[in-house]
Amino acid sequence: MNRQLLPKLLEYIADKHPRSRRGVEEAMRVSPQKFTEIAEMFLGWLVKALGDDGIQRAADAFVQFSTDVNLAQARYEVDGSYQNKSFAEVYANHYSQIDTMNEYLWGIYLTNFLWAHHTEISLLYADTFLAKLPATSQIVEIAPGHGGWGAWALSRLPQAQLQGFDISPSAIQIASSVTRAAGVADRATYTERDALDLTHMPQSIADGLICNFLVEHLERPEKLFAVVSHLLKPRAIGFITGALTAAQVDHIYEFRYESELVKMCEEQGLRVLQTLSVGPTRTLPQARFLPRSMALIVQKRCGEFY
Amino acid sequence: MSDTLMRLTAVFHDVFNDDELVISRDTSAKNIENWDSLTHVTLIVKAEKEFGVRFTSAQVAGLQNVGELIDLIEQKAGR
Repeated sequence: MNRQLLPKLLEYIADKHPRSRRGVEEAMRVSPQKFTEIAEMFLGWLVKALGDDGIQRAADAFVQFSTDVNLAQARYEVDGSYQNKSFAEVYANHYSQIDTMNEYLWGIYLTNFLWAHHTEISLLYADTFLAKLPATSQIVEIAPGHGGWGAWALSRLPQAQLQGFDISPSAIQIASSVTRAAGVADRATYTERDALDLTHMPQSIADGLICNFLVEHLERPEKLFAVVSHLLKPRAIGFITGALTAAQVDHIYEFRYESELVKMCEEQGLRVLQTLSVGPTRTLPQARFLPRSMALIVQKRCGEFY
Repeated sequence: MSDTLMRLTAVFHDVFNDDELVISRDTSAKNIENWDSLTHVTLIVKAEKEFGVRFTSAQVAGLQNVGELIDLIEQKAGR
């Protein structure tokens, strides 16, 4: 682990992006030792994947992404609804812009530890979910995006294998570069495929399933939970995250209550083992909406109740 | 003091809840302790309302100081 990378990131943010310093300090306070461990791991892969200027590039992308999110949230407070209502709108305005998408993914990559509430989700992922997976797990990752979550799983489970599926060619490219950087590429394969098509895959193939921050990007999110249920082996577990009243420009489905996600899981044959709903400590003045991130550890049921 | 700086000063007083705050073109987040990422967006949305303009996210993220915000407002407002 390179212990100079985190100080380099913090110094760059303080110098070039001082408005972001406070949020980063909040993230560090969540769990200083674990924050450092996660940050060093992610930054090590980042620099191997992008080269020496990777930290500056990803930090700039993180600030741009965070500004997108905050500005969209401010407009949501006024309008009362998300900006885009359909996947077609989002695709035309965002996903089809390849250069923008590449930077966007590196910005999101850093939110895994630079946003305080996402640090909490990362800790649940590593300390609880990954700890429950069998050593030789066959893992499926739906919409790996930047690939950091999958690389983390394979780093922790040296005999596990991962199949990732993402609709975005940029995501496939970046996720592949991250798994190469993490030294686990020989156990990961990524395929360009729509998540909702995965019901055409063989049933019950996964000992563990990861699906982070996809559900709010879909017009019919309940279909995603059906895919999760289809792919998990009986009583195998999955880690799913979603955003509620969080108006990122490419969010379509507006979850308002945590129970909506729980209900969708239960209706698709999943038992909810554990949940964590977290939001930022600072909000816009007089905010009606708290932009929350929710993590669910779910288990494929064999019967009605478990 | 330019008209834009004068009106923007009033916006800063409102957002930072400090009527004594003095800003100039060189003022940045390094000079104002509470000027964080959320306050920045609050400032931007109030400035948009005050001047009748709308900024893109890329423009908002790239602003380094008050002078750049004034230039952007005047460019958008066609002054």
